[in-house]
Amino acid sequence: MDNAELSKTDVLIVGAGPAGLAAAITLKKARPQAEVIVIDKAASAGNHNLSGAALEAQCLETLLKPVDPQWRTSEAAQKLLARQVKKDNVMFMLGKELAFDIAIAIKTAKLLRLPLGQMSHANDYTVSISELCRYLNGIAKQLGVEIFYGFAAQDIIWDAQNNKTTGVKLVDQGLNHDGNPQPNYLPGETISANIVVLAEGCDGLLTEKFIEKAGLERQANQLYSVGVKELIKVRPEQYKKFGDNRIVHAMGYPIFTPVLGPGMFGGGIMYPFGDDHIAVGMIVGLDWKECNFNPQDALTNFKSHRWVRKYIEGGTVTEAGAKMIPEGGLFAVPRDPKTKTIGKSNVIILGDSAGFVNMCKIKGLHNAIYSGYAAGRALSEAIFNPTGAAGRYTEMLHKTPVITEMKSARNFRQTIARLGPSLGLAMSVFAGILPKFKIEKDYLHITGKKYKFKMNREFDKDTFTAVAHTEHREEQPSHLTIINRNTCEQKCRPKFGAPCITFCPAGVYETVHGTVRPANFSNCLHCKTCQRKCPFDNIRWTVPEGGGGPRYKTM
Amino acid sequence: MSNYIVLVKQVPDVSQITDNAFNPETGTLVRTRLANVINELDTHALAVAERMKKNSGDKNAKIIALTMGPPMAEDVLRYSLGRCADAAVLLTDKALGGADTWATANPLAFSIRKIVKEIFNGSQNYFVVCGMQSVDGDTAQVPAQIAEELNLPCIAYVTDVEYKAGKFEFRKIISGGSQTISPKKTPAVITVAKYEYPLFAGFAASRRASKMQLIQWGAADINATAVGVKGSKTRVIRVFPPGKTTRKCLHVNSVEELAKLICENYRADETAAKTAANNGRYILPAKRKGKFDRHFEGTEKETADYKLLADQLEKMGIDDISKIDDTAKDKIITAVGGSFHKKALDDMLEGLKNYQPAYHGEVWVAAEQSGEVIHSATYELIGKARELADSLETHVGVALIGSKVERFTKSLISAGADKIYMVDHPLLAEFDPVPYRKALGAMIEKYWPQIVLFAATPQGRTFAPMVSYRLGCGLTADCTGLDIKDSSRKGEIAILMQTRPALGGNVMATIVTKDSKSQMATARPGVMKRLPDDPHRKGQIIKETVNLTSADLSIDIIKTEMGTGKVNFNAEIIVTGGKGMQNRDNYEELVGMLQATLSGKFGTPVERGASRAAVEQGFIDRVHQVGQTGTAVGPKIYFALGVSGAIQHMIGVSNSRTIIAINSDHNAPIFKQCDYYMTGTCEDIIPQLCQAIQKA
Repeated sequence: MDNAELSKTDVLIVGAGPAGLAAAITLKKARPQAEVIVIDKAASAGNHNLSGAALEAQCLETLLKPVDPQWRTSEAAQKLLARQVKKDNVMFMLGKELAFDIAIAIKTAKLLRLPLGQMSHANDYTVSISELCRYLNGIAKQLGVEIFYGFAAQDIIWDAQNNKTTGVKLVDQGLNHDGNPQPNYLPGETISANIVVLAEGCDGLLTEKFIEKAGLERQANQLYSVGVKELIKVRPEQYKKFGDNRIVHAMGYPIFTPVLGPGMFGGGIMYPFGDDHIAVGMIVGLDWKECNFNPQDALTNFKSHRWVRKYIEGGTVTEAGAKMIPEGGLFAVPRDPKTKTIGKSNVIILGDSAGFVNMCKIKGLHNAIYSGYAAGRALSEAIFNPTGAAGRYTEMLHKTPVITEMKSARNFRQTIARLGPSLGLAMSVFAGILPKFKIEKDYLHITGKKYKFKMNREFDKDTFTAVAHTEHREEQPSHLTIINRNTCEQKCRPKFGAPCITFCPAGVYETVHGTVRPANFSNCLHCKTCQRKCPFDNIRWTVPEGGGGPRYKTM
Repeated sequence: MSNYIVLVKQVPDVSQITDNAFNPETGTLVRTRLANVINELDTHALAVAERMKKNSGDKNAKIIALTMGPPMAEDVLRYSLGRCADAAVLLTDKALGGADTWATANPLAFSIRKIVKEIFNGSQNYFVVCGMQSVDGDTAQVPAQIAEELNLPCIAYVTDVEYKAGKFEFRKIISGGSQTISPKKTPAVITVAKYEYPLFAGFAASRRASKMQLIQWGAADINATAVGVKGSKTRVIRVFPPGKTTRKCLHVNSVEELAKLICENYRADETAAKTAANNGRYILPAKRKGKFDRHFEGTEKETADYKLLADQLEKMGIDDISKIDDTAKDKIITAVGGSFHKKALDDMLEGLKNYQPAYHGEVWVAAEQSGEVIHSATYELIGKARELADSLETHVGVALIGSKVERFTKSLISAGADKIYMVDHPLLAEFDPVPYRKALGAMIEKYWPQIVLFAATPQGRTFAPMVSYRLGCGLTADCTGLDIKDSSRKGEIAILMQTRPALGGNVMATIVTKDSKSQMATARPGVMKRLPDDPHRKGQIIKETVNLTSADLSIDIIKTEMGTGKVNFNAEIIVTGGKGMQNRDNYEELVGMLQATLSGKFGTPVERGASRAAVEQGFIDRVHQVGQTGTAVGPKIYFALGVSGAIQHMIGVSNSRTIIAINSDHNAPIFKQCDYYMTGTCEDIIPQLCQAIQKA
């Protein structure tokens, strides 16, 4: 095969996350002759995947049964699905000391078939999404899917005249800091594909470019939250006390205190991860108002809450990371304005890139896998008619639980954004029948207000990024750009004190010689919070050379 | 037209080690918990091979990647194919497992012969290009041993290559400087110590690589003469965790705090003098007081067992071992409460009958000289050799090779040598591994010392593997501990236990030589202690002659750049700047500022140091280079500014009392090997720190 042939494929999937791999597996199983290529910017499988994660395992049954009816008995599957949730705590934290279990309220809601009842996690599995991706990677490879790690896509080529994509352009490698070629410069190749599947995860670079190029529209703005998570190795007796079959979600302190504030949306999580590890995380809606707020501070406060502390005190953080979650729900899914397809022509959008997170459940992993499954099924027909891919995919998606589920949770996040967590949560019961609230983009919510529970972190950002094992080749151009420096100096700093310096979980932004710069871009965790939370929408995340970024192993 | 064979190796990713990777009980590294990657220097080797091919304009040249390892090592071959290799050979066979460097180099050399014959159609115009060393073994021995097996010149520690007038010119690191050389003939073995521009993977190339058929050979295909455990010349007897680093590794948040710590540490008395665990100097079994005294065994368990046995024999009044019958043996086994079994007891009793050392002959040090001076590591090794020779009741010999080197004999004798074996020849004026190997090899074969020690410098690490391979002797690289011990149960008395770090310093291993006439090791500079000079010592000078002609020379030396100027590395404080200083002006300004502040504050000389990278970038003269290829230092306080903390650098500063690091990279390895550190740019921190020091 010559280079031109090698750069061509039937289907190119961008992103080897659960959605992309599910699509690859389903398609390749149905059409073994089709050329299916997956590319991912991470150095190896699972490195850029971070989630809680509580998994509704039924989606895996749907996905894997056609591949191997006995899949569940394999050693790898047993290891992956080792911890089933039997006990579901929903804690309400009142200050630093008190905690009440309100799981009973959720159960009641479930009995009454209210959307809030979906928050129950009984019978889910706590899994590491990195491990899940490695597992699916293995299955896909066995089926003959070609998966290439360390290849970052920079752009999708859109042929507006013929209304279709011709392929994807990879990032240039070997540029120096000023953007000039080094002796080992390798220009980014173009991969030609009959069908492109965008499965990049939340706020996908190609997805967002594609939405603009192809004129897709969202009925409502996409809203985001950011999750910061640490994996903590605790003493065996602490772990035993916490238990292998339990899951804890927490609301209230330190991000939401009724009446007195703060009033952020989100909460803490504690998941058992086996081998005496407990995953502790904090998820915060990006529409927070406090300009000096950093989700890691909230995580620290959460960790030092008396109820949480007893399980993790004295533990060692073995891994850490951060990632955004798309929370806008069904109204924020990008569609073609005319045909209502999720994607267009021979381009389809999956999982978090589309925004298939159910905010009532606070889960999206199962939907990502279902969307991948639907894509695989649709493409097994559409490879003979590539431009019909988006239409067929959207139809297939309606046959999975994804859309129904998203429908029942629509407006949930918007209701809370409008009415605040206290009233919003109560009113969300009726979210389905409430008018659709128009919510502005997250970054517009910031004010000069300060976060009241700020405290010293015993765990600094340097150590946080060190255990995320993130690195980029230092000599390359920064993949984070500030559009207008004057905005930072003349507007942002006087008004808000340059929040990016504080909220970036990796400490990428710093003042150098008096100006704000992405000075430590090599620490970037690819969470993209900066791109969505800069108060003046003044930061852009582009893709660095492939292989850079975090190296999550069990996140 | 030249072809290229690039040696690549799959290694555990030691750059990403977490606490989880260690077994909590034994403290040893669990290799399966680490990801496998291609050895980083091998990626540089691929880039050098590609550059050689490109610069020589030779489009038809082939690059063949070769690896030996388990089947999963095919990953590194696909990596190579995705970058520049045209074909790849996987040498894999259970019979090849468990090999030391000797039994690794041998089958690789035979594979190279097969590649030349079958893929290059016998063309002898080729280069073997390899990473200087692998991150798991850290020995740097295999390439030089391959060169010796194939009878090729070995050009080690290469950092760059140019193609001029139809010839390749290599820039390489030498002790205290750099050299540009050209091999006199091909084929040749090139080892790469650093090349700035490793290759990126192309998509089409990677896809092609994933579809390509690898050439797979087993042991039977290559007819190697020494493979696996059986073909090895060394044996690992013990693997243990390195002593918990005594470095504090504390993160300091403010310059005020750091300034305070600097003052405290500078003024603190050196009361905590380093005391090596010393159970007394080794005594030959025949000279020990107790007849059954075996308290110098290689492992603690064996020493304890022998102690139990000796006590029991004494209790039972047994004086003659040959008279012990089965009842007495049963009685002993019962009495020691099952500490050892019958078979072990038999071995132990057999061992007690043996008083004869396993090796005879002197203890030698191969001297390293630059034409101007003897390398300081040579004196350190003489100090160690003195200790070993006294235990073994033999002499310390120094092999001194070069041109006009007689002037060095006096200082070598003052440092502890008894005999100087000297080869003085004009063709030995500059170090060339081939004639040097010939000269030293001839002397060793004539006298057969029981131990030969080399300095683990760029020269020693190239030269020692060639000498030892040629003489059929095992070699242990880069030792930090050398002790005489017994392995009585194995019937080996007074053997050299060679202790060295491996896997980037994450484990320690004790190694002994086997199936060899002499025990050979290279030892880290700066670790062994030089004895105080004794100008009254008398020694003997033995002149040897070796037949050398210019046909023996393997390289043309085009240019040698040595550090110039004076430097005082005995200063109490050393301020070192690394690549993180960005440019010469920054280095000058910031290192200078801190140097002046400290010198003013404490009224003591403060010297400037530099990492190899900083010297390469031209920040300061090479004479200031600290580390394995520069000078090993041991000041009261060592400042590492913008120094990443590569192992080669840290080896050279391990004797420092306090190490303080400033680096903007939160992942910098130096943070795990220093006492205090601050994260941030030097431009920000140094000026503030200087003010704080003045106020402190």
